[in-house]
Amino acid sequence: MINRVRELRGELGWSQADLAEHLDVSRQTVNAIETGKYDPSLPLAFRIARLFGLPIESIFTPGE
Amino acid sequence: MRAVHKRYMREFVPAMLGYTVLILASTMWLKTLDGTLPRAVVTLLPVVPVGFLIRAMVRVIRDQDEFERRVDLVSIAIGGSVGTFGFFTYGMLLSAGVLPSPAAETVAIWVLPTLLFCFGVAKCAVLRHYRDQ
Repeated sequence: MINRVRELRGELGWSQADLAEHLDVSRQTVNAIETGKYDPSLPLAFRIARLFGLPIESIFTPGE
Repeated sequence: MRAVHKRYMREFVPAMLGYTVLILASTMWLKTLDGTLPRAVVTLLPVVPVGFLIRAMVRVIRDQDEFERRVDLVSIAIGGSVGTFGFFTYGMLLSAGVLPSPAAETVAIWVLPTLLFCFGVAKCAVLRHYRDQ
């Protein structure tokens, strides 16, 4: 999966720790998602989409 | 440190200390204790803190976030496999007479610390895999 989480977080001026707090996950989790090393579950992906106010498919797209 | 991990440390540290104290105490006590029932009770004393250790581990794995849970479960799988296979290999070497046989309680005492050590090393490796590119 390719995602725009880092870009969207940057637009809000949030640190990884800020985003982690909003999502109630660890900073490591945010980092692993942003670097593409971990694909979040559907419930967490929906929480991310809701937080940024965007449809899930505009944040997460299938990779190669 | 997140709240779930603070709670884990509050539960894990006393249980681990209790286990360490009781395993040493029971081993020493058994040298002078007679009678099957008293010996059985003293031998099983360390099982009590192990129950609390397992409870702490289950609670932290259950309550942490999904990525942390994945890291821990993968680490348990790797560490558990390495630790148990290591003991199995050690047992094979002992039965082949290649290594001198230690006392049975010495081997038993080292099972839990060895598995925890293997889990710790595995977790470091797994976290390193997920770290910044």
